[in-house]
Amino acid sequence: MTKWGMVIDLDKCTGCQACTTACAMENNTLPGENWQDVLFYHEGTYPTAKLTWLPRPCMQCENPSCVTVCPTRATYKDDEAGGIVFVDWNKCIGCKYCMIACPYGVRFYADEQPVVEPDVRDVFPGEGQLWAPPYQNPESDARRGIGIQPKGVVSKCTFCYHKVSQAPEGVADLDEDNPETKEYVPACVRTCPPKARYFGDLDNPDSEVNRLIADKRGVRLKDHTGNRPQVYYLGSGADVPAYDPPSDS
Amino acid sequence: MNNGNILKGPLGTGLLIVSAAAAIAAFGYAMLDLMAVGHRSFNTSSQMPWGQPIATYLYFALASSGLGMIAALPLVFGFKQFYPLAKRSIYLAFIILISGMAVLAMELGHVFRMLWVIPFNLQIQSAMFWMGVFYVADLLFLLWKFQKMEGREWDSRTSRQIGIASFLAVLLASGNLALIFGMMSMRPFWFDGLMPIYFYLTAVASGLAAVVFFTYLAYGFRRAAMPAAMRAMFEGPLPKLFAAVLGGTVLFIAVRAITGLYTNNPEIHLVWRDFLFASPVYQASLWLGIVLPFAIMLMAGLRGNPAVQVLVSMAVFAGLFAERYFFVVGGQVVPLFRGTWEWGLIEYTPSLTEWALTIMGSAMLFALYAAGERFLNLSAMPDDFLAANGSEATA
Ligand code: SF4
Ligand code: SF4
Repeated sequence: MTKWGMVIDLDKCTGCQACTTACAMENNTLPGENWQDVLFYHEGTYPTAKLTWLPRPCMQCENPSCVTVCPTRATYKDDEAGGIVFVDWNKCIGCKYCMIACPYGVRFYADEQPVVEPDVRDVFPGEGQLWAPPYQNPESDARRGIGIQPKGVVSKCTFCYHKVSQAPEGVADLDEDNPETKEYVPACVRTCPPKARYFGDLDNPDSEVNRLIADKRGVRLKDHTGNRPQVYYLGSGADVPAYDPPSDS
Repeated sequence: MNNGNILKGPLGTGLLIVSAAAAIAAFGYAMLDLMAVGHRSFNTSSQMPWGQPIATYLYFALASSGLGMIAALPLVFGFKQFYPLAKRSIYLAFIILISGMAVLAMELGHVFRMLWVIPFNLQIQSAMFWMGVFYVADLLFLLWKFQKMEGREWDSRTSRQIGIASFLAVLLASGNLALIFGMMSMRPFWFDGLMPIYFYLTAVASGLAAVVFFTYLAYGFRRAAMPAAMRAMFEGPLPKLFAAVLGGTVLFIAVRAITGLYTNNPEIHLVWRDFLFASPVYQASLWLGIVLPFAIMLMAGLRGNPAVQVLVSMAVFAGLFAERYFFVVGGQVVPLFRGTWEWGLIEYTPSLTEWALTIMGSAMLFALYAAGERFLNLSAMPDDFLAANGSEATA
């Protein structure tokens, strides 16, 4: 069975945020509520200080803590869909327990104060929907949390399921450089200028993602949580600095 | 005949009207905000999803459980001295839980959807599913037990069995509520297998504060007006129990604080150092709302004094509310990832709408309480117990 996975090479990532922008356009997320974001850190102090960054989508965990806490089964892992974790907007009651339980902070409640002003929900008010962006993704599937996020529910990255689900059966990798598959590649992967992101089938021994994980020692973020992400990081800096308050550093 | 209960007369009606009006006003204010801008009127965010409304619900739900446990002392365990508290405790447990649930209902994204999706999807892996099951059971058993007491059926077989069932429901409900937090290993400030014990202790502390305060209120803060058995309870066993429970609470907070400050793990250490102990409100609520009341209740000369008991119960009320608030928010203040959007601890202050919900719940509690005092006899005790402990008859 297909198990979609993503590989992000931090040695290639320039922190340009093209992925974040592409995701926001593709999925009509509210500004600042980035299903895919690049987090910038500084680590250490002079003379060893460095600036570092980390692109962060939902990890589509193999063992997702967001799923087990959800009292309504609105959040579910769909093994038929490559193991993507979805939120069924028709079932979610907005208790936000999943947001507490996700160790990666990648779940969003659109019915909250705007992260970025002005509030686009007021700039583009919607009729019967939370807002009406000038461009709206024609695909929508409330059962998988695809489309304009309604009020009162939680949303998250879907690995662009509306695209990857169209890919030919049994394909090993979805590569934006391959004309056969480029239309099915998740928006963040397709747009990444230095090609730091790869997308493919973790269950297929011949896939490029598996080769990269093996050859370049892919690691998973916060692996001690036991969530076992389906997103792997390559390169130096594939770690998360411990929280260090400004007052201490 | 009001037997000294001042709320049986116009005062009770007055309190009922005033607090019902306050509850309706607060509800109206919050509802208008929610209808106009939705949960944008809250200061919570995707990084701090649970704010003061959740803390309020937690506080009320646990106070209810505490009251249920207190009622179990005479009803399940045979500590007869506490009979004078039993009926009022069960009633308070019921109404405080209803008030808490009302606050929670205004916090959720889709409260009515909840009514069908939870039963139809049976996600038994979720502690929140069990919270629904246990608190609904708790509510029903409380109501049933109260109805038995109304029918003066204190000691029948069924009444006893319902009492036991109700006590078990209380233990399961509050213990499971503790695990909603305590099982979250990704939130190390909460992650603690002993969380249910901590919740039990603090639940009883807040339940005691509630029943002491509301009993005094019913009698116009005059102990002389109370029935003899109730006076005896306030003079003897109750303050000692209060002292013991507060002592347990202090001990628990102390060990959590010591381990928290000792560990290097920033997700626990910083919460204690930079959030809890850095906050004057937390400091005040800890020292004045929990530690000082404990010290006072330790003093044999003071703990029997009615004015002291009322003040201590009010201080503990406030102290534990703050404790719940800082507990809920404290589990979330350290960002999961430091970076672009968050350099320091996550800031959160409840909005006016969130305060309105806290006020709505509290006013609702007072209104239902006043109605209970006005129309029911909450000081009722079993006849044989009364016969043995003083001459006053029930109303
Ligand atoms: S990263 Fe978070 S939201 Fe995504 S599957 Fe894992 S636990 Fe769930
Ligand atoms: S907010 Fe929705 S998806 Fe998240 S746990 Fe609650 S019901 Fe489930």
